[in-house]
Amino acid sequence: MIVRMRFFPFLLTIASALAQDAGATHADWPHYGGTNFAWRYSALDQINAANVKSLTPAWMFQTGDYAANLQATPLVIDGVMYLITARARVFAVDAATGRELWRYNYPEPPPSVPGFVGNRGLAVSDGKVFFGTKDNYMVALDQRTGRLAWKVNIDDARQCGCNITAAPLIAKDKVIVGGSGGDGAHRGYLTAFNTKNGRLAWRWYVIPGPGEKGHETWKGDSWKFGGGAPWLTGSFDPALNLVYWGTGNAAADFYDSERVPEGADKRRDVNLYTASVVALDADTGKLRWHYQEVPDDLWDYDSAYEVLLMDREIRGRMRRVLVHMNKSGLTVVLDRVTGEFLGAFSVPEVRTWISGVTENGILVGRNEPQVGKTVNICPSAAGAKSWNSMAYSPRTGLLYVPVNEVCNDITVVNRAPEEGHSNMSGEFRLKLPEGRTTYSHMDAWDLVTGKRAWSIPYKYVLLASVLATAGDLVFTGNPEGEFFALDAKSGNRLWSYQTGAGNRGSPVSYAVNGRQYVATPTGWQNSVVGGLEAALFPDQNWRLGSTLVVFALPEGARAEGSR
Amino acid sequence: MKWLVLALSVSCSAQNVADLVKQGEAVFVSSCATGYCHGVKGLASGAPRLVGRGFDQTYITGVVTRGVPGTGMASFATKLSRPDLSAVVAYVATLNGIASPNIGAGVGQTTPSPEAALTDDAVLGARLFSEALRGFGRCSTCHEVGGFGIPVAAPIAHVPASVAELKSLATPDVKTGAMGGESMPVLVLNQGRQSTAFYDLTSSPPVQQNAEPGSVKFTDGSSWRHASVIGAYTDDELAAILAYLRAVIKP
Repeated sequence: MIVRMRFFPFLLTIASALAQDAGATHADWPHYGGTNFAWRYSALDQINAANVKSLTPAWMFQTGDYAANLQATPLVIDGVMYLITARARVFAVDAATGRELWRYNYPEPPPSVPGFVGNRGLAVSDGKVFFGTKDNYMVALDQRTGRLAWKVNIDDARQCGCNITAAPLIAKDKVIVGGSGGDGAHRGYLTAFNTKNGRLAWRWYVIPGPGEKGHETWKGDSWKFGGGAPWLTGSFDPALNLVYWGTGNAAADFYDSERVPEGADKRRDVNLYTASVVALDADTGKLRWHYQEVPDDLWDYDSAYEVLLMDREIRGRMRRVLVHMNKSGLTVVLDRVTGEFLGAFSVPEVRTWISGVTENGILVGRNEPQVGKTVNICPSAAGAKSWNSMAYSPRTGLLYVPVNEVCNDITVVNRAPEEGHSNMSGEFRLKLPEGRTTYSHMDAWDLVTGKRAWSIPYKYVLLASVLATAGDLVFTGNPEGEFFALDAKSGNRLWSYQTGAGNRGSPVSYAVNGRQYVATPTGWQNSVVGGLEAALFPDQNWRLGSTLVVFALPEGARAEGSR
Repeated sequence: MKWLVLALSVSCSAQNVADLVKQGEAVFVSSCATGYCHGVKGLASGAPRLVGRGFDQTYITGVVTRGVPGTGMASFATKLSRPDLSAVVAYVATLNGIASPNIGAGVGQTTPSPEAALTDDAVLGARLFSEALRGFGRCSTCHEVGGFGIPVAAPIAHVPASVAELKSLATPDVKTGAMGGESMPVLVLNQGRQSTAFYDLTSSPPVQQNAEPGSVKFTDGSSWRHASVIGAYTDDELAAILAYLRAVIKP
C-alpha cells in the first residue's frame, strides 16, 4: 500500500511531463498552432517576466502587400521564417535578420472570384510549403527555392461562394484543408491531399449524404446547402491517428423551419455535423466520433475554431482531453479518445442566448430569434471570440482567451437558398451591451475548474491571437496597434510596444543561435468581422498595413534576465 | 466624385447602359452579395435590403464610396476599380427604379439571361454539369463552360452528337508521362526552359505539376479514357449535358 502511494505521484509526474512536451514549441514554430496540439505555447524562457521590460525590435519585414491586413501565423523551421500575406504572397526570410531568401507571388484571382482577401497561414512538411487560396487551390512550393511544385483546385469560388483563408494542417503524409462559405448555400467539407504529389487522399463532408448516419437530422433537401463549413485549422494526435476539427454553423443561419425535421429533440444532434467538433481517422477521413456544441444553431455560432489537445487530471483521473471554444464563448472539455463530455464553461460576461448548460452538456433556456420581430441576443454573430486563437500554458495550466462583449439585434427574413450566395435568412446589427464602458477582456481560464483566474478589461475589441511562453508571459495585440506582454500568473501588463498598425494576426516565438525572438504580424482588416469597428466605434479608424515586427532582448539584458 | 459622373455620362447609348448594369450586377454578386453582407438581387441578408428603397443615385454613390458610419458598410472607394464602382452604382440605381439622366433610358430593360432560352433538358444539363453533390466527379472539375468550372481541358470546340460518341471520345492530347519511376496519364501545359508544367490525370481532381525540365518524359498515347471519368452520370444525364453544351457552345 505504502509502495503504491509512492509510485502513484511519480507516474503522474512522468505523464504530465510527456503531455507538457507534446504541445510546446522550442527553437522552431513548425505549425499554425505552434505544434499540432494547438497550444500556441513556446517552451523558451530567455524572455521572461523579469526582463521583458527590455524587449526591443530586432527587425521588421514590410511585405508590400497592403491589400488589407496581415493575419497569418509565421512558421519558423531551422532559422528560416515562412510568411504568407493577405493576397497569398509567400516569403522565406532569415529568421535572425529579416533578410529575404525567396518569394512567390500567387497570381491574383480575377475580380469575378468572390470572397474575402485574407490568409491565416501556411503549413510546411515533406520539403514543401503549402497554402490555400481565395480561388480554392491547394498550392505546394519547394521549401528551399519557393518554386511552384504542384497545385490542385478544390472548388470553383464563383459557384460555391467559398474560399480558403485557413492554414492547412499536416497529418503525416497528408495536407488537409477546409474552406469558408457556410453562411451561404453551400455544403462544407474537408479535403486531404498527399503531400508528395497533390493527389486526392480523402474528402469528408460535414453534412452526411443520403444513406449516411446523421442524414436523418436534416429536413428534406436542406442538407444540400446546410453550411457547416470548417473554415479554420484542426489539430492532429499522432498517437491516436486522429484529426480533430471544428465545424461551422448550420445554414440558413437564423431560420430553422426548412432544415430541422418535425419533432426534432433540440437537446442533442440536430443538423449534424454542423457546430460540432469531430474526430476523423487521419488516413481515411472516416468519422470516429462527434460532439455537437450547438444543436440547431440559430445564432450563427460557428464552432470552427482551434482545437487544443492536452493531458490533464480531471476528477482524479488522468485524461487525454480536448478543449474547444465556439463563437458563443461556450467551451467544452472532452475526452479526445471517445468524445465523452467532461465539462463546459462560458467566457462572455453578457450572455442571453442560453441560460446555462447542464452537467451533461445540454443547453438550457434557449433564446431563439423570432419570425416577425427583432430580438437582441448576446454574444453577437461576430463572436465572444473571433477566429483568433487562444493559448495554453502547461506551467500555469491556464487558457489565455481574448473575449469580446458585443450583442446583436437579429431579424429573421426567410428566403430560399441560392447556391453560393448568402443564406443567412436574416439580418444582424451589432450593438454594444448597455451599461458597460469596456467591450472586451483578456482572460485566463482554468479548464479543469471552469473558473476565471484573472481578467484584464480593454476599451475596444480584441481580435489578435495569443502567445504563451515558459517565461510566464502572455503576448497579444490590440486594434490600436499596441503589442503587449502580460504576466501569465496575474495578468499584470509588463511591457507594451506601439507597432504602428492594428493587430489582427497571430504572434509566435522561436530561437536562432540561442537568441529568443517574438514575432507579431501587424495590419488591421477593415472588412467582415474586423470591420466591426465601423459599426461599433465609428470615431475609430484603426490602421491597415502588412508588416511583421520581431522583438528580442538586447545582449546585456539577456544575460541579466536569463534563468 | 467627378470622375464618376464623367464615367456615367459617356455611356450614352442604351446598349452601353445595359452592359454597364450587367457589369454592375456581376460586381454586386462578387463583392456585395457575399458572406455576411447583402443578398443577391439586392435582397436582405446579413446586411439590409437594397431593392425598392427609394435611394437616389447621389445617395448610392456616397454610400458605396464612403461607407456608412455606425454600420458594417465599408467604403469601396479603394476596393473596386473605377469602372466597377460606376457599374455597381448603376446596378443598385436600377434596383431602386431610377431612370437617371446620367444613365439613360435603356436602364429599365433587363438583359435576358442566357438560360432563359434553354430547353428544360438543357437547364437540367447545366445543373448536372457542375453539380456540387458530385464532388470531383462532375464535368466542371476539368471543363469551364458558362462561367463555371476549372479550365483543365482546352475549351470545348466540338460537342459530341450522341452519348455514344461522348463515351468513345478520342483524347489525343492526353499523353503518358514518366517521372520518378512512375508512369501517369498527363495533359502537357508547357515545356519551358525553367520548368515543365502538366496535369497529372491519375486521379480526380487533376493535379498541376511543375517539374524540373528533363525530369519528366512524355510519350504519345495513354490508357486514360474520357469514359472513365464520366461514369458517375447516367446516359440520360449525359444526354441532358450534351443538350446544354449544344445550346451554349457555338461551333
